[in-house]
Amino acid sequence: MASTAPTLRQSSCWKRLLRPSRQQKTCVRCLSTALATTPSQFLPPPPPRLRSPFRILNDTTHTLSKKIKTYPPPPSHRAKHPFAVADWQAYHQKQLDPTGSRTRLFDRNNPDVPRVGDILLVAFKTGDPFAGVCLSIKMRGVDTGILLRNKLHMVGVEMWVKIYSPNVMAIEVVKRAEKRARRGKLYYMRKPKHDKGSVEKEVEAYLKRRRLIRSGALGVKDPSLSAKNPASARSGVGAR
Amino acid sequence: MIQLKTMLNCIDNSGATIVECIANLRMKRHGRIGDRIIVVVQKSRSMGDSGPGNTSAAAANKVRRGDIRHAIIVRTAKKVQRKDGMVVRFDDNACALIGKNGEPLGTRINGIVGAELRSKQQSKLLSLASMHV
Repeated sequence: MASTAPTLRQSSCWKRLLRPSRQQKTCVRCLSTALATTPSQFLPPPPPRLRSPFRILNDTTHTLSKKIKTYPPPPSHRAKHPFAVADWQAYHQKQLDPTGSRTRLFDRNNPDVPRVGDILLVAFKTGDPFAGVCLSIKMRGVDTGILLRNKLHMVGVEMWVKIYSPNVMAIEVVKRAEKRARRGKLYYMRKPKHDKGSVEKEVEAYLKRRRLIRSGALGVKDPSLSAKNPASARSGVGAR
Repeated sequence: MIQLKTMLNCIDNSGATIVECIANLRMKRHGRIGDRIIVVVQKSRSMGDSGPGNTSAAAANKVRRGDIRHAIIVRTAKKVQRKDGMVVRFDDNACALIGKNGEPLGTRINGIVGAELRSKQQSKLLSLASMHV
């Protein structure tokens, strides 16, 4: 027992002796940890993928004098086209009807504008011409269409024709209605009581007369049907 | 819009005048111009109409009332819109009878037919018709 007591005393002594060094070790470790973060200027620069974009502001080499490049906004279509739909319609009308004859023919201010109840003849670039009583005119800009009704082989046939269609070569007024129709749409003409039937006779008479006028046999000066102005006759502008 | 129970005019010289649609071979849709349908002959021209000297007597006797036949729709009262924006409608529904092999039973078609037959590979009917729109 006597031998262990001094050993214990000695070990406590060792502990006491070593205490300052242990403390110092702790301090060193703390200091190293602290040093690893604080002085960034002593560290090697991080790889580019880890570099912050904001770092450039603190960097002394890249000063704030370098301005960020800005671009002007794209041109505003809204400012350019305040009435986009109308412009779009006008653009397509211009393309489909470069001379403007079809637009003029169906213009409301035109005194010879085709009206419902008139007999119209539409000639196509491909296929046979179609004639019929105009039941309805749908004014929708470039989508403007006319509804023609005729009887062929005892069967009623109705056809919507788009007046700006590239396939439509000419629209001619064969015969005017005797009286102005008191309705905008003459759908009642589908009923047997009001059905006009075939317009074959009227069209035949019109074509015969047109042939005579164009050949000059008839001494009638019709601007729309004269041979001198076939373009306007084709488009039907001012047809009688 | 040809569907079950629709009555159609038969406009060829096969002998039938009025037929009734009982099936549309274009499944699950109404029939349009150029479609093949199955019909029942409801009314046929009487035998007295075709005299012994009439050349179409044989054709007129081709079908009888109650016969079940195939037919091609040639006119519809429903509007048909075409690629160029034109819309065509007729006042009645009409068809022409054909055999099982697709050959028309009649030898001529009296009346106007829709030009859609061409795109439906029914050019033979189109050429038989007197006029097409």
